[in-house]
Amino acid sequence: MIVNAELYVKDLPGQLVGSLEPISLVDGNIMGVVHNREQIVNHRICINVTFEVDDSAQLEKLKEIWKSKDMIISRMGSVYQTYTMEYMLIGEFDANYLEGLINEASEMITMDSMDMRYSSKTTTSSKRTGMIAVKTRSEEDLDRMDRFLSEKCKQSNITYVRGV
Amino acid sequence: MRVFICGFGTVGQGFAEVVARRQKYFLDKFGQNVTIVGVMDSKSYAVDPNGMDPLDLVSRKQSTRRVGDESYTVSTEVLDKVDYDVLVEVSPTDVKTGGVGLINIRHALSNGKDVITVNKGPLALKFRELIDLAKANRCKFRFEGSVGGAMPIINLCRESLAGEDIKSIRGIFNGTCNFILSKMDKGQPFEQALKEAQQMGYAETDPTNDIEGYDSACKVVILANSIFGRDVTFDDVQITGIISITEEAIALAASRNMVIRLIGEVSETKLEVSPRLIPKGHPLSISGTLNTAQILTDLAGPVTVSGRGAGRLETASAVLSDLIAIMDERKREA
Repeated sequence: MIVNAELYVKDLPGQLVGSLEPISLVDGNIMGVVHNREQIVNHRICINVTFEVDDSAQLEKLKEIWKSKDMIISRMGSVYQTYTMEYMLIGEFDANYLEGLINEASEMITMDSMDMRYSSKTTTSSKRTGMIAVKTRSEEDLDRMDRFLSEKCKQSNITYVRGV
Repeated sequence: MRVFICGFGTVGQGFAEVVARRQKYFLDKFGQNVTIVGVMDSKSYAVDPNGMDPLDLVSRKQSTRRVGDESYTVSTEVLDKVDYDVLVEVSPTDVKTGGVGLINIRHALSNGKDVITVNKGPLALKFRELIDLAKANRCKFRFEGSVGGAMPIINLCRESLAGEDIKSIRGIFNGTCNFILSKMDKGQPFEQALKEAQQMGYAETDPTNDIEGYDSACKVVILANSIFGRDVTFDDVQITGIISITEEAIALAASRNMVIRLIGEVSETKLEVSPRLIPKGHPLSISGTLNTAQILTDLAGPVTVSGRGAGRLETASAVLSDLIAIMDERKREA
């Protein structure tokens, strides 16, 4: 899930790093930080941080750490769950085919992020392998993606392998 | 308890050995011995209403390649030659017609005999018919060893997890495919890995049933019918084998810290066997010939079981657990 949090920390050296370290401690991924030095309340400055954690248990653990470090969480919002799935395609196709598939899929499905890799043609085989990793905000979107790729692969005689 | 064994190959012989080993247990727990009153292989048979020494049967089969002196052509006629309580049907499977196994099971159930089988063909093709036949004739019909060999899954779901709402079962149900894919993880090409599996006795000379996913599909059907109460057959399974998995695909999966495994999946709506991308460290990412299954339940969450999917004593242990369950039930009913 992606979380946006507003923290108030003491206006002392090291407090910014001290507020970000716990995110890494719970295996979270920091996506953006705004250090708002103009916004001071009770000798505390405001830090706005956006990060990603796997689940609410991790988020709860992080909140506990911040509280134990005397950091005030003034707002926690824009929280949304993300769902990741990997898809692999094995068969005779080229890069244009894969890109076309992704373009077509992105017209139907809202993707937060997409990563695509594919192997080169080798001397021993004309087959290529493509791997697509997709992050969406709903399981329904992943199901739609699954149905779309499954159907397209069947039409083009491509072996389709998806994650679990 | 009088037992008739149909099929005296690896599993049949293993079961006979197990019966010999567990006589004291049977006596202590049930106050009776388990006697083998009939046994047949593909060509010959032996019957004795007083029981035969299990180890003698095994050594006769191993030295002469025949379990008995008498030959036969119609298996059901042999079944009628002696009175027995339980048929242990472990003859070679036929996923296209159900083969002689289906004929023997039908015959035994129709005659009011309890049946234990590990034969996937009859279960994958005629599950509902056989269950109805068992019910109509008040017979006990158990088949734990048909899925996952020694890995307890059917009885686990039906007995230990009774009361749970089982959402889905996903698992590796074919040790041969898992062996091949595990070898490919280490850089072996598919053909070499298959050849090694054949040399080690994991794969048949004709490996079609394994690598095309048909064997796993039979097991998925058995789980769907027995655990989810569905009424499906082999033809309803969406099957993709592992034959088109390339070394590049394995390498690309590894670059994302994943492996490819042939996974059978069954739920209220799904019935599928296909290669899947599994994160390393996930319970379904195991290597080698082991079978494993992840049962997703509403109360207990995910429950994972693992065990040897095939083998002489491993599969015989599943037949033994079914036999003990039947003896327990009979004792309660007495």
